[in-house]
Amino acid sequence: MKKLLVLIVFMSSLLHAAAIQSDKEFQQAVAKMGKDNKLVLMIYTTDDCPECAYMKHKVFHDKTVAPFLNSHFIVMEKNVHRNQLPDGFDYFGIPTMFFIDKTGTKKETIVGSKRAREFLSELHRIRGIK
Amino acid sequence: MRGVLLAIVLGVSLSAYDAAHLQKALEDKECIGCDLRGADLSKNDFSGADFHGSDLSNADLHESLFEMGDLNDCNLSGANVEKALFWKGTMKHSDLSHIRARGANFKGTNLSGSNLSFSDFRGTKSWKANFTNALFNKTDFSDAELGDAKFIHNDLRSSKLTKTLLWRTHFSDVMMTKAQCAHAKKEEALLGANVMCY
Repeated sequence: MKKLLVLIVFMSSLLHAAAIQSDKEFQQAVAKMGKDNKLVLMIYTTDDCPECAYMKHKVFHDKTVAPFLNSHFIVMEKNVHRNQLPDGFDYFGIPTMFFIDKTGTKKETIVGSKRAREFLSELHRIRGIK
Repeated sequence: MRGVLLAIVLGVSLSAYDAAHLQKALEDKECIGCDLRGADLSKNDFSGADFHGSDLSNADLHESLFEMGDLNDCNLSGANVEKALFWKGTMKHSDLSHIRARGANFKGTNLSGSNLSFSDFRGTKSWKANFTNALFNKTDFSDAELGDAKFIHNDLRSSKLTKTLLWRTHFSDVMMTKAQCAHAKKEEALLGANVMCY
């Protein structure tokens, strides 16, 4: 019984990991990393979300944020109304940003927008726990 | 002795909610035209609830959820709504004077025609909120996020907009100080017709 339970947990963890790993955009993001040990920043958006637009057009391109973001993260976007969402990445509010390593393991989640300085500080923290 | 009596009388009048109304609010997650003065409604999920016309003055709503809720024509003066969520709700023509709202989220909320005088909106998130015809007197929006929010027919001159995020915030038929106007322009706010900078 105990062995069966362990097997079920193991199999479900494989299924969970396979879900994000089978995502084409995630695969492309990992391919872009090459040998670099970057994290994927997956942002959930909608068309009608000013906070998402602020993050994408303002914060990600901020002159203090962009160099660090591009050096340590690969950004990918999922529109929750138009794209299929990977299993295990549920959201409560929009935008939600997931930080994922190349094996598909979720390292951190941020809900809502952040100003550039605060976001950069979060990126440094998350980079630190990588 | 008189002071003690006065304090007791004031205390009673501030928290003299109707127990049956409070029970209804907590059980049914809605209460229309209810007396909930000073009631404890904190850390509850009232998503989609209807409280319109209720007296929630000095009530404790902190960390509660009011997503898509109806709080139109309510009296929320002096209420504690810190860290509460009012996403896409309506709070039209309500009295939010002296409200304590630090860290609350009013994303997409319609606050048109409401009174926000002397309210503490520091650090709030009010993306895409509608403040048309709202009354502001010494309202504190320091560190608040008001991106894509709508300010039409308001006088903001006595309010604090220190470090307030105003990205694509719409202003028209609004009175602001010169410093507020300069900050709004720097933040890439959208200044429409009849924005007066004094």
